[in-house]
Amino acid sequence: MKKVMLPVAIAVSAALALTACGGSGDGGSASQSGEPKHVNLSFWHGYTEADGKVLDQIVDDFNKSQDEITITDTTKTWAEIGDTLLTSLSADQGPDIVALPAENLPIYASKGAFQDLGDFYAEDSTQSASLNEQAVSMEKVDGTYYGVPLGFVPLSVIYNKKLFAEAGVDTFPTTWDEWLDAAKKLTIDKNGDGKPEQYGLALPDHATVGNGVWASLFYGGGGGLIDESGQSVIDSDANVQTLTTWANAVIDDHISPTGIDGVKSDNLFSAGKAAMEVGGPWMAGVAKDNGIDYGIAGIPAGPAGAAASAIGISAGVTVQADETEKAAAEKFFQYFFSKDVATKWSLGSGWPPLRTDIPASDVSSNPVVQSLTEIAGTARPLLPGVADSVDVLAAVDEATQKALAGGDPASLLKTASDQASEALSQ
Amino acid sequence: MTTMTQPARRRYRPPRQLGGGGRSSGFRFGRGRGPMAMAFMLPALVILGAFVFWPMISALRLSFTHSSGFGPTTWVGLDNYREILHDPKILKTLGVTGLYTVMFTPTAIVLALALALLLTNKALLGRGAFRTALFLPFVISMAVAAFAWSYLLDPQLGLLNYWLREIGIQLGNVLQDPHLALPAVVVVAVWKSFGFYMVIFIAGLQQVPEELHDAARIDGANAWQRLTRITLPQLSTTFAFVVVFATIAALQAFDQIYVMTGGGPYRHTQTVVAEIYSQGFKKLDLGLATAISYVLLLITLVMSLIQFRFFGSREKDVVG
Repeated sequence: MKKVMLPVAIAVSAALALTACGGSGDGGSASQSGEPKHVNLSFWHGYTEADGKVLDQIVDDFNKSQDEITITDTTKTWAEIGDTLLTSLSADQGPDIVALPAENLPIYASKGAFQDLGDFYAEDSTQSASLNEQAVSMEKVDGTYYGVPLGFVPLSVIYNKKLFAEAGVDTFPTTWDEWLDAAKKLTIDKNGDGKPEQYGLALPDHATVGNGVWASLFYGGGGGLIDESGQSVIDSDANVQTLTTWANAVIDDHISPTGIDGVKSDNLFSAGKAAMEVGGPWMAGVAKDNGIDYGIAGIPAGPAGAAASAIGISAGVTVQADETEKAAAEKFFQYFFSKDVATKWSLGSGWPPLRTDIPASDVSSNPVVQSLTEIAGTARPLLPGVADSVDVLAAVDEATQKALAGGDPASLLKTASDQASEALSQ
Repeated sequence: MTTMTQPARRRYRPPRQLGGGGRSSGFRFGRGRGPMAMAFMLPALVILGAFVFWPMISALRLSFTHSSGFGPTTWVGLDNYREILHDPKILKTLGVTGLYTVMFTPTAIVLALALALLLTNKALLGRGAFRTALFLPFVISMAVAAFAWSYLLDPQLGLLNYWLREIGIQLGNVLQDPHLALPAVVVVAVWKSFGFYMVIFIAGLQQVPEELHDAARIDGANAWQRLTRITLPQLSTTFAFVVVFATIAALQAFDQIYVMTGGGPYRHTQTVVAEIYSQGFKKLDLGLATAISYVLLLITLVMSLIQFRFFGSREKDVVG
């Protein structure tokens, strides 16, 4: 009996070990015959709403438009892509093409996750596509292009028309002074306890939408985060003035609650407890779902003019793809940027067209896209090419949060600038 | 008259050791049983080797490199460990984790023990229902609990703030208050986990012989004396387990912090594991992230050893 049991036990062990250790195997992307190779590409993106269905359709149309390349796209949340891309690529089980928030592209590119797409940008068809230069600048890290823009939209202000009418504010403000006046009129503290029941503006002081609310205000005030040479200008006089102006409005006039992030800001607007917020295009759908009669407008002009930080989405070809697969991915990008597809994607995603030769009138069938396209010229990319954006943005967040809680803007921005400089120098 | 048949007396033989060790003590294979035992152990060893030991060794190697998991890997020796010792931000996460552990562990244990004592009191009606109700938070995921508490504590939309405002209490934005954020996440963690420790204490309390209490009562011991002289000493093994378990759980705090505060306000709730996540998955610095992991492992190991030694000597005192 023992003689039988021993080999059985070894066989079972070996089977279990093989099952545990055996990889699923990719199976290869090309056929082994002499025929032209058929290329299979995997594509991860985070468009989970109606925009995802439009992207699925575009991928499907591309697959049908030729018979050499098949792209299989997988929808995940942006957070899930952030949590799984590293592990999947290190296990060689990642996607060939991946879409991700544009501010994350530089760190992945600097660590060697993406391939140089310089040849794609050198193509005649790409150059003639007149892509939005600001959007394309998000894709450059240390002088090399590592991705293509899938989306580029300026932050805008969404406002509650009913609350505006009740407060007697007839037109949407176009300057900061008018904006602050409107916010004060729309702030209502019925019982006078210093805690308004309705806020004029939901102004997040950290983890803002696309990390861009304060960047937008700094741009409008004539400042910024980093200059063209990559040095921190967070503690500039213009930024100190901007932060002081808005901190005073929050602390003294209570136009916004403090300590809120982008998500809380969305919640307040959706609940009708804030008359305005700076947000992304998806807020139009959220407002509609919550029965809010909304309007969308550009961020009012500051002392230095109208400016807005943009929310960007980039797509890169990972190091997992070989040369044939990279060439196939570039063919898809060329298809994606063709005028008809770019218009379709703009209307379906709710984001402005990535080509500058598509006027607002071409997307007028979607009024939100039309509004955003009209203000697209004010958009600036957030920290393009900065690999350690995490520390830079954390430093800014700390300064704005402390300033809105009563801290001294000048010293807080000086500290933030020092921290950012340290991160940028690494 | 009843007659009893006495079983034939046999000399007692202790059970044979697993693996055919025979008479001598120690782990020894004999008469062909060793290979058989090894063969049956092989699946478990393979799984442990593949999913525990090999990743640990790989991670240790990784901690001496600059690596993102893809692209080039550079050997940097002890640089990552030096960075941990010199970076004030990382050192602060050790402090935050220490503070979290100091707040969480005693609170959760004292609460769990108090409720366990209450719920083993036979005079209390509906003990089963209370036990179930108090254990329930442990069953739900920490992420769900953290989301629920975030909404409850929301200063503008939260129910808790709304109720407290009705009775004149302004709680404020506790999750973004640098002084209140850490206690707030500790409260949620305690609420979530004390039910588990309570159940372990209840199991321990049920093992305490009733005769000891009866004898103490006859000798005139009051309830406090019975608790401190009988119940707690008898619970020392259970205590050791719960203290070590709760300490390790506190040192690994991450999910409720990730959901509720994201490490803020300005890193006041950034624990070591949150920092590991940030270094590994946000900054793609796996070398530094694994080095911090090993520092945390070392701290956990040392604390566990100290606790086991302390409770081991206490147990000897009790037995002695």
